[in-house]
Amino acid sequence: MVIMTEIMVGLEIHVQLKTNSKLFCSCPTNYRDVEPNTNICPICTGQPGAKPLGLNKHALEQLIKIGIALKCEFNNTSVIQRKHYFYPDLPTGYQRTSKPIGINGKLGNVRIREIHIEEDPGRYELRLGTVDYNRANVPLIEIVTEPDMKSPADARVFLEELEAILNYLDAGRDEPGSMRVDANISIDGGTRVEVKNINSFKGVYDALMYEVIRQQNVIRRGGKVQMETRHFDESTGSTISMRKKETEEDYRYLPDPDVPPIQISGDMIQELKEKMPELPRAKAERFETHYKIKPDDAWILVMEMEIAKLFEEMIYNIESQGEFIEAQKVASWIRGPLKKQLNYRKMTFAESQLNTSWLTELFVMFNKGELSDRGMEQVLIALFEKKKGPKEIANELQLIKTNDLSEIERYVDETLESQQKAIEDYLSGNEKTLNFIVGQVIKATRGRVDSKVVKELILKKIKR
Amino acid sequence: MESSVEEKIHRKLELISKMEGEINAFVEIYENEALQSAKEIDKKIKEGKAGPLAGIVIGIKNNICIKGKTLTCGSEMLKKHHATYDATVVEKLKAADAIIIGSLNMDEFACGSDGTFSKIKITKNPHDLSRVPGGSSSGSGAAAGAGFCDATLGSDTGGSVRCPAAFCNAYGFKPTYGMVSRYGLSDMAMTLDQIGIIAKDKEVMKKVFKTISGTDKKDQTTQLADAKRIRKGEIKTIGVPKEFFESIDSRIEKSVKAKIRQLEKRYEVTEISIPTLRYTVPIYQLLMTAELSSALQRYDGMRYGYPADRNEELYTAFAKVREAGFGKEIKRRILIGTYITMKEFKDAWYTKALSAREVMKKEFGEVMKKVDALAGPAMPTGPWKFGERMNPLEMYAADTLTIAANLTGLPAIVEPLSNSIDDGAIQYYGRHFEDELLFNVE
Repeated sequence: MVIMTEIMVGLEIHVQLKTNSKLFCSCPTNYRDVEPNTNICPICTGQPGAKPLGLNKHALEQLIKIGIALKCEFNNTSVIQRKHYFYPDLPTGYQRTSKPIGINGKLGNVRIREIHIEEDPGRYELRLGTVDYNRANVPLIEIVTEPDMKSPADARVFLEELEAILNYLDAGRDEPGSMRVDANISIDGGTRVEVKNINSFKGVYDALMYEVIRQQNVIRRGGKVQMETRHFDESTGSTISMRKKETEEDYRYLPDPDVPPIQISGDMIQELKEKMPELPRAKAERFETHYKIKPDDAWILVMEMEIAKLFEEMIYNIESQGEFIEAQKVASWIRGPLKKQLNYRKMTFAESQLNTSWLTELFVMFNKGELSDRGMEQVLIALFEKKKGPKEIANELQLIKTNDLSEIERYVDETLESQQKAIEDYLSGNEKTLNFIVGQVIKATRGRVDSKVVKELILKKIKR
Repeated sequence: MESSVEEKIHRKLELISKMEGEINAFVEIYENEALQSAKEIDKKIKEGKAGPLAGIVIGIKNNICIKGKTLTCGSEMLKKHHATYDATVVEKLKAADAIIIGSLNMDEFACGSDGTFSKIKITKNPHDLSRVPGGSSSGSGAAAGAGFCDATLGSDTGGSVRCPAAFCNAYGFKPTYGMVSRYGLSDMAMTLDQIGIIAKDKEVMKKVFKTISGTDKKDQTTQLADAKRIRKGEIKTIGVPKEFFESIDSRIEKSVKAKIRQLEKRYEVTEISIPTLRYTVPIYQLLMTAELSSALQRYDGMRYGYPADRNEELYTAFAKVREAGFGKEIKRRILIGTYITMKEFKDAWYTKALSAREVMKKEFGEVMKKVDALAGPAMPTGPWKFGERMNPLEMYAADTLTIAANLTGLPAIVEPLSNSIDDGAIQYYGRHFEDELLFNVE
């Protein structure tokens, strides 16, 4: 258990930007589905004599879009610096990284200190001693927050919203490992500990939870939390000390003379501002006020842009069919049964490629009582195969609820005949047995009947 | 009159085979390729399709990439490295039908003023084998001076083109910073480096300059070159900074002053003073070593060059590569450059040198408003004998007259004053982007 402590969490988030070409050369940015060292050139492998091309303009635009979404101010100019260190994945022996471009932003209650742009290094396989430079020079931004998050859960919520924003802006590469986080955490005003290179949001949460408990234990034993950098081990969910941070590493930052200063014009910012889509937070507020749905449902819906779109399209479809269904019911259905199936398949809605009109049709059938909970779920599962519409599936699987009393009666009669013992139990006072009998009838109809109707019929027949 | 380019190449190769054994100007001679392209160019000449440098024989300093050819940079570190692409200047020369006859020796990573810091071989002065050819473009100076090439390319960070030109009795030209693409030139100090030309014949030099200069999208610092390239005008007034004469050999002083008296007949010549010229060496040394330490950071043995031992722990492997691959002078400069850019010392050294450079630029800017060009000696002495100068401080002082052009980015040309290498050379500084006006000063 977490003891109540004052926790301060700050994050440094590295996001790979979505661009076609690399930051300082024209190589493609695809480093995943290609053979190692194929998307490379003299520039991104640091050959003697190679010089950077001008900064990729699209990458800068992507950064500015993100900065606008995070309510940043922008510096008019910024300089590319060389951050010197030795590592096999770093082709020039220095990483090109800009001075802050966006500053003083805010997302929710978390202040954004700055955003700058930099190049990703290659990928070093320690075990094999090989390096793949396909990733070298892929554009990255680093978003630095102030230590405004008060718990690991705060950090998770912040990151989820940030991810949603990147998704809305089509600005970040949506692949595993495209967002890497360094988290700073201190408790009760103590020393700051940095946990480096966490590759997932769950990882951030786990690493911070681990640190809270670890640091509390250190203090409880009368110790002092050391200023240090720790590494998060995803497999054990624990953090491991990397180095004591008594002397800070000296990167000998120098301005890169080969790259002219970056110019950020007011016109450029204005132009991008005008193209901004509605962002998750604003959308959630609109959903709440316009559709009168619960705030936490609205939040869940907007966290995935395609889901938010589905919600509005379903409502539109229903209305244009002349039907009326409360928006809250649609929201609950998406958040409930639909998300359950998506989560089970570890898919986003976009990845599922489910057809919106079919989903609407299914939902309307369900809402009208044509399908039971179980029947609806079965149709939904079949929809993932994307071959047939919900009506056809429901008919084929004979899932449409029947309101034909004589048919229901036939099922009840058949069941009662074979359940003499249960009837006796019930008549001798065991109330629970009735539910069992009802269940047997529903089972026989494969969920196509309403339990209330069945119950009434049974009671009539037994009393008789 | 040349009968054919092919015959010319044969004659050049003959001369080279006779003298190169003693001079050691080349790292590699591309005999077969040169003859092959000579044949093609002869054909183009017949068809009337030849480029502007058809048949001009060029040698290239070995820190400029020629695809598929060894790029040693005069260092053990890159002794076996082959360039994977053509430098922009090489592309342009090839397209203009120049014939690249070989790569030329140099001081290691262009650090040195006499050629003795090459780890490949020691180039000698073609006019006196007991004396140095000047550096760092030692092979470029010697090959042009010996007549092996019509023109050679060198790189000039503090005088590395102009010094060997002066020592080997040829014209040497460092263009305005940003006039010639550095793409494919191995970095020494990025804000100072510029590719330059050495030639016996000023007209050839001019043609080569026209070919290799201009904006290149692969070098961001050339973005103004096209717009400003041909500044019309004429040099009318020449300033002679008295600081240029403060510590030079008397024979050189005599010949340079005699030349200036001749200039007075055609130009308005005035004595001027540029006080910051006294600080060129310390400003240059600080900025150059800082930039060099960054530029050479990439040599870790992982991708090319002196190979890292894969069984070693990473940092030990890097250290061993750099220990074995770099010569003593390079290590000295890397250490100084690293020291003065460390957080603790940066403000006291590097940042201060940057401000001093700004003061100097401003002072030159003021002066160049009043005069169209500057004149003075190119080098304080003639070429010294091998073994004479071992002290690095003495060596650094030799650059004192040339480095102001690199610190300010101004173009500068040196011109020999007689057939004797002991008479030295005169040097003219021009205004930014007025490179071509400098060719006309006589």
